[in-house]
Amino acid sequence: MRTLTLGSPTARRAAKPVPALPRLRAPFVYAFFLLLFVGLAGRSLYLQGIDNEFLQEQGSSRYSREIEVPAHRGRIVDRDGEALAVSTPVKSLWAFPGKVEASPAQLAQLAKILELPPQALAKKLAPDSDFAFIARQVPPEVADQAMRLRIKGVYDQNEYRRFYPGGETMSHILGFTGDHDAGQEGLELAQQEWLGGKAGSRRVIINRRGDAVEDVAAIRAPQAGRDLALAIDSRLQYLAFRELKAAIDANKAKAGGLVILDAQSGEVLALANWPTYNPNARNKVAREKMRNRALTDVFEPGSTMKPFTIAAALDAGRIRPETMIETSGGAMTIGSHTIHDAHANGTLSVEQVIQKSSNIGAARIALALPSELMWEMFSDAGFGTPPRTGFPGEVSGRLRPAKSWKPIEQATMAYGHGLSVNLVQLARAYTVFASDGELKPATLLKGNGPVAGKPVLKPETARAVRRMLEMAVQPGGTAPKAQIPGYRVAGKTGTAHKLEGRGYTNRYISSFVGFAPASKPRLVVAVMIDEPSAGQHYGGAVAAPVFSAVTGAALRMLGVPTDAPVNNVLLPPEGSEVREET
Amino acid sequence: MRKDIAATATLRPFGMLKSLGARVAVTPNPRTMRPYDGSLAWASGLLLAIGLVMVYSASIAMAEASPHTGYRAWYFLLRHGMFLATGLLAAYIAFQIPMKAWQRLAPWLFVAGIVLLLLVLIPGIGKSVNGARRWLSLYFVNLQPSEFMKLAVVLYAASYAVRKAEFLHARQPMRQTLLKGFLPLLVVMGLTGGLLLLEPDFGAFVVILGIAFGILFLGGLDWRILVPLAALLPVVLGAILVAAPYRLQRLVAFLDPWSDPFGKGYQLSHSLIAFGRGEWFGVGLGASVEKLMFLPEAHTDFLLAVIAEELGLVGVLAVLGLFIWFLFRSYAIARQAMLLHRPFAALTAQGIGVWVGVQAFINIGVNMGVLPTKGLTLPLLSFGGSGIVANCIAIAILLRVDFENRRLLRGFVE
Repeated sequence: MRTLTLGSPTARRAAKPVPALPRLRAPFVYAFFLLLFVGLAGRSLYLQGIDNEFLQEQGSSRYSREIEVPAHRGRIVDRDGEALAVSTPVKSLWAFPGKVEASPAQLAQLAKILELPPQALAKKLAPDSDFAFIARQVPPEVADQAMRLRIKGVYDQNEYRRFYPGGETMSHILGFTGDHDAGQEGLELAQQEWLGGKAGSRRVIINRRGDAVEDVAAIRAPQAGRDLALAIDSRLQYLAFRELKAAIDANKAKAGGLVILDAQSGEVLALANWPTYNPNARNKVAREKMRNRALTDVFEPGSTMKPFTIAAALDAGRIRPETMIETSGGAMTIGSHTIHDAHANGTLSVEQVIQKSSNIGAARIALALPSELMWEMFSDAGFGTPPRTGFPGEVSGRLRPAKSWKPIEQATMAYGHGLSVNLVQLARAYTVFASDGELKPATLLKGNGPVAGKPVLKPETARAVRRMLEMAVQPGGTAPKAQIPGYRVAGKTGTAHKLEGRGYTNRYISSFVGFAPASKPRLVVAVMIDEPSAGQHYGGAVAAPVFSAVTGAALRMLGVPTDAPVNNVLLPPEGSEVREET
Repeated sequence: MRKDIAATATLRPFGMLKSLGARVAVTPNPRTMRPYDGSLAWASGLLLAIGLVMVYSASIAMAEASPHTGYRAWYFLLRHGMFLATGLLAAYIAFQIPMKAWQRLAPWLFVAGIVLLLLVLIPGIGKSVNGARRWLSLYFVNLQPSEFMKLAVVLYAASYAVRKAEFLHARQPMRQTLLKGFLPLLVVMGLTGGLLLLEPDFGAFVVILGIAFGILFLGGLDWRILVPLAALLPVVLGAILVAAPYRLQRLVAFLDPWSDPFGKGYQLSHSLIAFGRGEWFGVGLGASVEKLMFLPEAHTDFLLAVIAEELGLVGVLAVLGLFIWFLFRSYAIARQAMLLHRPFAALTAQGIGVWVGVQAFINIGVNMGVLPTKGLTLPLLSFGGSGIVANCIAIAILLRVDFENRRLLRGFVE
């Protein structure tokens, strides 16, 4: 106020009279402004300090989301921890085709990144569909590259993809996963509970495009699945597959299977099938290639059943190994049926019946037995019941009740016709001879070393049959080609006519089941070749060499001590092999 | 002299205003006082700085996701920074221009403004965005004439009120006051307003009308006109409502955005959510969720909502406080000018106050859901080149008024 006494304005006012501005209006206007702004401050206080709960709820409902966090599926590993099935993170790209906004150049780039023909991409994005996957389960870096094009309406999502390093060699036993990485076939399906993780969930804040921008809290942590250790030894599996495939190629066969069991624990160390498929690219694989034939298909075993017939008679004390059986003439008539041997033999000892694989010999022995006794033997050896490996869809094979057997049927069953088995069942049954009469459980999962099986035979009976089976691979037996340098081998061939419709055909199933080393059996190996058609069809010529190659290499891989000199292999002169039929 | 003191004394019934008016209008010691109003400069500078930071924060997510910005997160920061630099340069130049010169220039600036507003409306010259033709394209930047028009209206209305002072005041017959005092400006403003409504730019229309009538009112427009005008307003509003009731619905739709939160109430509901999320101290600078493409115009019209969310009630009160301080300084500077018998300077200062006050109030009111949504930026803070430059020039003129006041108080005579 004092400054007003300076006076100069007064002088100016005198020079030019101007009506003074009204004095009260400005305070009035500014007071009004002050009031308005204080009002705004009050409103802000109300919104931010008092009513904020409602507003925050509204906010949460707009951008707070619960999202699923996929859980990692457990790995499948072999007995040494080698990965057989692993889940790797991948991404899928999807879109609402109607809402995609992209320039032609962007679409061209997208097609290039995804390695899709531009027309295929255009088809996927045809605006008539509401939702479309543009690319499923592509490597994350590919998806990221595509997302960097920033095409509006294209989204990505995290997924896991199952990868099978073993490819076609192991596909049947493992099976595969389908949507959401859930087991769909094989052990992936059977062990879903164990392998499958439990998806977790998180609360996140999303932006308007739906991308999660902030993690608020974990609601439920994802539970990773557990690893599953199989009994499979991948080295043996590769070996088995390789040799099986080579044999099938060489014999121009239709199909085949090979099973390696641990003779002491019953664990399935290898299980190979042909035909097979690659589980990593199974888009257009025929369903029938996916069958695990060794467990889900049955066949008439033929002569590989003879040792069980003999064992039943031996165990019951009806015969002794040196008992002589009349087989001369090569034919035998039962009622209206006649059975044949491939080559006429004279009088054979029980041992020789196995060695030469005489159908007539086996039939005579069988016909001397009560059918219940024989049925009991077969049943105890695991025929007619599923092998209980835990594999989905395994079959039991056919073993009719003893009461319904006619004599001719009992005679043919003695050499493996009129009943059916799967390959694992057959291999498992031979553990009875590989041990001292115990049937081991066939297991696909890794166990803890030798297990006691179910006693089926007297130990001396088992040892007696083992000796006979050893003779079968010697010169003079049906399968000298099953011999392995350095190891003693025991086994039995099978050459069965295939049953089609109501009658037998001239197509064969050649098989060989055996074990080694014969002095202290470690591996039981069963080989089955379906319809060899390259000239040879005898088990001793088709399946026995596969057995020899696989078992020999497997024993060496496992470091099993030899039980014979390395020059132990004695092959008969060409053309003089003993052949058997069935 | 005595009259001046007496005049101050008349403020007494207003208590607080009296003491404020007395203290702020006159600085105790003209020898030691600074040559300009430091607190006004600081308040303005702070608002501009908060604006720069918040424009960056509010625009970052949108800029990063938009092909129009080339996915550059700093796109709006860089431009706003350049606008600020331009604005400060323009302010420096404007500050050099004496108020006398501004007074002489005022009608010409106004005419220039009208020409620009006409140019905007010519297709091919004016640039249209979202159906509104508000911009002139100049190679690098777009000029928005309506922002500069606000400044021109302040200067023109002030010079008009000074020229026509005799007719505004009650000493003339009513007819003279009406014909020579009120109607000419009404017609001119009607035309200007018409041009703005053609764009359309309803926000600028309201602000310019507010400035013009604010200045007329402060300039002493006679009660004989004011009272009927004030009486006419409810009558006109009532008539509109009776004639077209749906307008009422549209007008008050903002009162309940939750009845249609994904349609008409979308923008407002998200703005309110931002306030609610901010609480007392905010979610922290940069942490706003609403700006992640939920809230449209986060860096322009709804910048305050982002401030509310990130800086909380504290941030909002700080901005409100700075605006109140800005208004208070414009009041004090105008009062000082008035006391120094510089009516043009006083009315210009008040006009600038009314401009910033009205526009800030409307923008903030819209953000808080107490006013219907209209496209108006928050002065000094929101993104927008023309707005920022015009605001900077206005602040410079306000500082110039104060600068001249202080020179006079020191005893300088022009």
